[in-house]
Amino acid sequence: MLSAEAITKSFRASSGRVVAVQRASLALESGARLGLVGPSGSGKSTLAQIVAMLLAPDSGSVTIDGDRVRVWGVRCSRELRHRVQLIFQAPRVAVDPRLRVGEAILEPLAASGIAPAGAAERVALLESWAARVGLTRDLLERFPHEVSEGQLQRACLARALALRPRYLVCDELSSMLDVSTQAALLETIAAIQDERELGVLLITHDRVLADTWCDEVADIRELSARDQGEEAVAMRPRDRAARRLRERTPSSDAAPEPF
Amino acid sequence: MTELLEVEELSVGFRTRRGVVQALSQASVTVGRGRLLLVVGESGSGTTVLAHALLRLLPRNVNVSGSVRLGGQELLDLSPAELRRVRGRRMALIPQSPASSLNPVRRLGGQLLEAAQARGLSEQQSRTRLRELLGELGLDLAFVSGRYVHQLSGGMQQRIVNAMALVGEPEIVIADEPTSGLDAELVDTTATQLREISARGAALLVITHDLRLAERLGGRLALLYASRIVEVGPTAAFFAAPAHPYGRELLRALPEREGKSIPGMAPELTALPGHCAFADRCPDRFDRCTESVPDLYPVPDGVLARCFAHAER
Amino acid sequence: MGTDEVGRDLFARVLHGIRISLTIAVLAAMAAVAVGTLVGVLAGTLGGKVDAVVMRTTDVFASQNHFLFGILLLVLFRPALGGAGAVMLAVGLTHWPSLARIVRGELMSLRERPFISAAVGGGASRWRLARRHYLPHLMPAVGLAFVLTVPHAVFHESAYSFLGLGLPAHQASLGNIRADGQRSLLAGGWWIALFPGLAILVAAMAIGTLAEYWREHLHPRWGSELEL
Repeated sequence: MLSAEAITKSFRASSGRVVAVQRASLALESGARLGLVGPSGSGKSTLAQIVAMLLAPDSGSVTIDGDRVRVWGVRCSRELRHRVQLIFQAPRVAVDPRLRVGEAILEPLAASGIAPAGAAERVALLESWAARVGLTRDLLERFPHEVSEGQLQRACLARALALRPRYLVCDELSSMLDVSTQAALLETIAAIQDERELGVLLITHDRVLADTWCDEVADIRELSARDQGEEAVAMRPRDRAARRLRERTPSSDAAPEPF
Repeated sequence: MTELLEVEELSVGFRTRRGVVQALSQASVTVGRGRLLLVVGESGSGTTVLAHALLRLLPRNVNVSGSVRLGGQELLDLSPAELRRVRGRRMALIPQSPASSLNPVRRLGGQLLEAAQARGLSEQQSRTRLRELLGELGLDLAFVSGRYVHQLSGGMQQRIVNAMALVGEPEIVIADEPTSGLDAELVDTTATQLREISARGAALLVITHDLRLAERLGGRLALLYASRIVEVGPTAAFFAAPAHPYGRELLRALPEREGKSIPGMAPELTALPGHCAFADRCPDRFDRCTESVPDLYPVPDGVLARCFAHAER
Repeated sequence: MGTDEVGRDLFARVLHGIRISLTIAVLAAMAAVAVGTLVGVLAGTLGGKVDAVVMRTTDVFASQNHFLFGILLLVLFRPALGGAGAVMLAVGLTHWPSLARIVRGELMSLRERPFISAAVGGGASRWRLARRHYLPHLMPAVGLAFVLTVPHAVFHESAYSFLGLGLPAHQASLGNIRADGQRSLLAGGWWIALFPGLAILVAAMAIGTLAEYWREHLHPRWGSELEL
C-alpha cells in the first residue's frame, strides 16, 4: 500500500506563502484504482509529486509498502524510486527533446543501471514495450518534435512501465489528448493491472472519467479537511472486485450510459 | 444567399525535410451569420491549421490552394495591409492557452488598450468600449488594468483574451482549443462565455478535440480525420447517431459510453493513402474503401458523410 | 605583400603567423571553455552551499582586471611553460568566469523543466543528469562561447607579445608581426600591420561559419516546424 499522511506543502510566492496542500492523506492499495479530482490549482499535482518522491513535503509522511520515505528528490534511493512512477500532463515537456523516442523510453533503465547489456536485447525490450502501448517501430527512431502528443504520451507510459513500478501516478494523463488515445492508455494500464498488482492513482479534472474508470474517487478538497484521527481514503475491496467483473464480461444489451 | 464564411476546397501542405505534410485536403465548410460551427479532430489532424489558414497566420513553407471568402471577399489573396484590416476587426482569434498569449511582464491595462487601438479605436473610445465589454464579461476594467496576467485566475485570463478578441466587434470569432488543459469548472465557464459571444451576434468557429464541450455548445459540427472533413452536420445529430465510422468509434471511446479505443493510429500526414484514410481501422470496411477516396455523401437529417457505405442513397 | 622591416617576406610570415596564433588561441579558448563549463556545471548540479562557494570564487576571479591578471600569470609562468604555453594559461585562466556564469544560469533554468523531474523520477543520479541531459543542452551555448573567445584570445596574444611578455619576438605570431608593423607605421610601412589584422578577422569569421555548420547539422531541431 502507498499511503500519505497529513501532507502539507506550501510555496513562496510574490504575495507571500501559498499553501498548496494542507494535511492531505490518502491510501492506495496494490492493484486498486484511486481517482483524485478537484479544480485546477487545488494542489493535485503537488501531491502527486510528493507521493512520487520528487518533492519533499513540509510535514507529513509517505510510506510505500511499509517503507517510510526519508529522503526526497534526486538523493532518494533507487529501489524506492522504482516503486512509484509518475506520468506528467504535458508529454512534450516531460521528455528530453534531444533524445529519440526509443532512447527516452529506455533512459530510466539505463540511468539506473538495469538496462540489458546486449544491444539486441535492448532493442527487443524496447520493441515489446512499444507494442504494448501501441507505438510502431518507426516512431521509436524519431525525435519528440516529430511525433504527436498522443504518441509521445504513449512513450511516456512505456517509459514509466518499463521500470515495473508497483504504483503509477497519472497526473492529468490525457486531458490534452483525444478520447481514443485516452482510452488506449487506460486500456494498457488496465492490462498491466491484470498481469500484476499495480496500484493506480488517477488524477483528473474529468469527474466522469474518474467515476467510470476508478474504483473510488476522492476530491482533494475533502482529503485536506480530514483530521489526523480520521481514516484516510481507503479501498473498498468489494466494490473493486465487482467493477472488474463487470469489465471482463461486457453485456451485449447494455445501453450506453447517458452523460 | 451567401454564408458569412465560405471555405471551399482549402488545401494546406507544409514543405518539411520529411516531405510535404498535408494538413488539410480540400476542406469545405461554411459558417452562417451568428452561427456556430465546431471543428472537431484529434490534435495533429489539421484542426489548428484550419484556424491559422483562415487568418493567414501560416508560416512561409506552405502550399495553400482553394478559397476562403468572408462576406464574399476572398481572403487568400489579400495584401498584408488589407489583411490587417480584416484581422481583429472582421475576424478575430482566441488562441489556445490565454496565459501564454498575454505579455507576462506588462500590466493588462496597457495590453487591452493596445488591442483596442489596433482595431482603429481612439484612446478615449477604447477605454469606453473596454469598460463596457469587460463589464458584460463580468470583469472590472479598473481592477484588471493594474494587474499582471499571473495575478488573475484562469477563468479571468480567458475573459481578458475574449475581450481582446471582441473589442473590434468582429463578424466571426475563431476559438482555438478553448478548453485545452482546463478543469471541468473552467470548461463550464468557457462554454458559457462562448455562448455569450454567439448571443452577441458574432459567428463562432470553435476548434476542439473536447467532445463534451462540443456536445454542450450545439450548432453544427465538422469532423476532421487525416486532413479531410469526414462528417458535417448538426452537432446533436452527430452525438445521437454519427454517420461516419470514425465518428462512431470516437464516441465509443468516451469513458461514459464504452471507453474503447480505436485500434491502430491515424495515417501520417506525409503519407496519406489514395483511398479512405480510415479504412485500415474501420470495422465496416469493404472492397471499395481501399480503391479511392469517398466523396461527402448526403445522409438523412442534413448530414454529409465521407463514406462509401452511404454512397448508394 | 612585400617584405617587413628586416626583409623577410611578409606573406610567408603572415601564413606562419596565422598557424601559430590560431593554434594558441584555439587551445587557450578551449582551456577557458573547459574550466568555465566545469565550474558552471558543478555549481548548477550540486547547488546549495557548493553553488554559493563556487560562484563567489568566480566573482573574485571575474572582478580582477583580466588583462593585468594575465600579465601576472605570464610573468609567473613564462619561465616554466615557455611563451606559447604561458599565453595559453594566461588567457585560459582569465576568460572562464563569464562562461561559468552563463552555464550556471542555463542550468538553473534547465533544472526546472519537467523532463528533468521525469529523469529524476526514473532514478537518474546527479552525475547522470549532468552527463545525459545538462551537457548536451549546454553545447550550443558553450560552442558559441568558444567561437567568441578565439578572436579575443588572438587579440590578447598579440597584446602580450607586443609588450614582450608573450611569444619570443622572433616567432612569427600575428601579434608579433603586428607589433613589428606598429613600429614601422611611422616609416610608412602600413602593410605590415594591416595584413595580420585582416588575417585575424578572416580567421574569426571562418571559425564562426564552422561553428554554425556544426550547430545546424549535428543537433536536432528542437522546435517543431509547424503546429497542427
